[in-house]
Amino acid sequence: MVATSAQHAAAQGTATETKKRAWTWYRITEGMTPYLLIAPLLILMAVFIYWPLIYSSYLSFFDWNFVRPDKIYVGLDNFTRLPDDPRFIQSLKGTAIYTFALIPLQVLLPLGLALLLFRTRTSRLQGAYRVLLFSPTVIAYSVAAIMWLWIFNPNYGVLNKALSYFGVDAIRWLSDRDYAIWAIIIVATWKTLGFHMLLYLAAMEGIPKDYIEAAQLDGASSWQITRSIRFPLMTPTFFFVLVTTVISVNDDVFAAINVLTNGGPFDSTTNIIYYLYQQGFKYFQIGAGSAVAVIVFVVTVFLTWLQFRFVERHVHYG
Amino acid sequence: MGSQTPAVEAPRRRSFRLEDSGFHLVIIILCAFTIFPFIWMISTSIKAPDEVFTNDFQFIPDVPRWANFPDAFEYFPVDRWIWNSFGIAVLTTLGKILMSVPAAFAFARLRFRGDKLLFAVVLATMIVPGIVTVIPNYIFVSERGWMNTWTGVIIPSLPATAFYVFLLRQNVLQLPQDLLDAGRLDGATTIRLLTDIVVPNIKPAIAVVTILSFLGAWNQYLWPLLILNDFESKTLATGMQFFTNNVESAQMWGPMMATAAIATLPPLIIYAMAQKQIISTFVTSGLKG
Repeated sequence: MVATSAQHAAAQGTATETKKRAWTWYRITEGMTPYLLIAPLLILMAVFIYWPLIYSSYLSFFDWNFVRPDKIYVGLDNFTRLPDDPRFIQSLKGTAIYTFALIPLQVLLPLGLALLLFRTRTSRLQGAYRVLLFSPTVIAYSVAAIMWLWIFNPNYGVLNKALSYFGVDAIRWLSDRDYAIWAIIIVATWKTLGFHMLLYLAAMEGIPKDYIEAAQLDGASSWQITRSIRFPLMTPTFFFVLVTTVISVNDDVFAAINVLTNGGPFDSTTNIIYYLYQQGFKYFQIGAGSAVAVIVFVVTVFLTWLQFRFVERHVHYG
Repeated sequence: MGSQTPAVEAPRRRSFRLEDSGFHLVIIILCAFTIFPFIWMISTSIKAPDEVFTNDFQFIPDVPRWANFPDAFEYFPVDRWIWNSFGIAVLTTLGKILMSVPAAFAFARLRFRGDKLLFAVVLATMIVPGIVTVIPNYIFVSERGWMNTWTGVIIPSLPATAFYVFLLRQNVLQLPQDLLDAGRLDGATTIRLLTDIVVPNIKPAIAVVTILSFLGAWNQYLWPLLILNDFESKTLATGMQFFTNNVESAQMWGPMMATAAIATLPPLIIYAMAQKQIISTFVTSGLKG
């Protein structure tokens, strides 16, 4: 309609009509501009995030190995067979160990450290502390793992050397199934300590000074202030760190697992993410891998939903 | 100690408090824990094989062996890996900026049919773990013959920008409405508003997104690991794995740590230069938004 009247107007050729045409053209392009601005982003998201979600769900109903031309429909077998796979069960154990060991190490240890840093914030050393503690965060996980590979070396590694001064016998950190997962947990703790600490510090620094001063006037001790004012006001940050840790910790350690142990010894360092990777790209069990992908996705959505619900109800916003 | 006047604590004292020395000690121990692997890496990168496989504990080798660095390039195509890491990181960053800045502007300041829904669609991608999309995207890339190419690494990783869109949008929202209204009155088109008014005014935020995106792309592991299989096509983060196949030989550790040092250098330099911005943006926009 608009276009025809514009064409019609153009045929008239008068000055006002030309102006009108320009105005119409302006309105059309302006109306489309917002969509043009978001189109590249949304198209790529559709192709590489949303479509893969759908396609993964589809593939999870089939038996396929990447190369065979035909996919065989197997219904829910890829899901129901998972509990029969000892490697899957082992990967669940690993997932549980990583999650529960790293919650205190990545959520509480950085909180304690942040309190210490906040306490000493007027010190000259503060800037240096923050730079040193944060630096592992900015480097590649895989390269970090390479650094630790050398530290964990059973014969000449510096960790065993240090322990030998205390009379501890050489530990085969990466090839002993009792130790390997803890070696990776050490690396993961090292990698995220500074980042989470900074998030807590920022939360503490964001607390209005009036609150603290008012409490000081009332004679509150510094620990009382921390406990009754800082902690409640930090709960959003605390939950953010807690939930992102729970959601991403098993994803994060992937590079460390792959560089340090390849999931071994005896699959003792695998987790659900590494199991998915092995199913897909080592054993080419695309259906089984996709089934795990669907499970990982559903669990992640559930945890996120839980976070929103819980945070809405129990968190004090400053 | 008691010389202090009783009234109010001075808010900012740059002095050392003796009663805090225990706290400092704990912090310093943790600092040593975080920094030691770096120091040990550098130390090993200039050690000769006989000083690598030894039971002595020494930070600075008797005879520094700088040849480990050229040796690394000799053993593996480390120069190619550096080039690949660099090219992929730059192009990924560029692509992400070109996509996320206009979208952030549109979602912050333009009203159009479906704007809220589409913004939700963008944000919702944040809860999709990367690993979930890996198998279909791998099929997509291999069907197009993009294996072992930069394209194969870059294109599928471009849409992982929801956080940046969010962060940039927060910054666009903070611009005064008058600024945009003035532009409108001057007859500026929406595109002009974006290029002439919005972009110049959110430069600090764009800088931070650039840095974070570069670091992310430089450090990424799983996706390039799957797509880049050729020796020559690897990035630093993924190619280093070739060294680890030879960990039994003392010759390998020096060059391996030399390569690791090269791989950590750009992120550390960028971090050192932009430390304040990185931290403040992370902290203010990442959480309170």
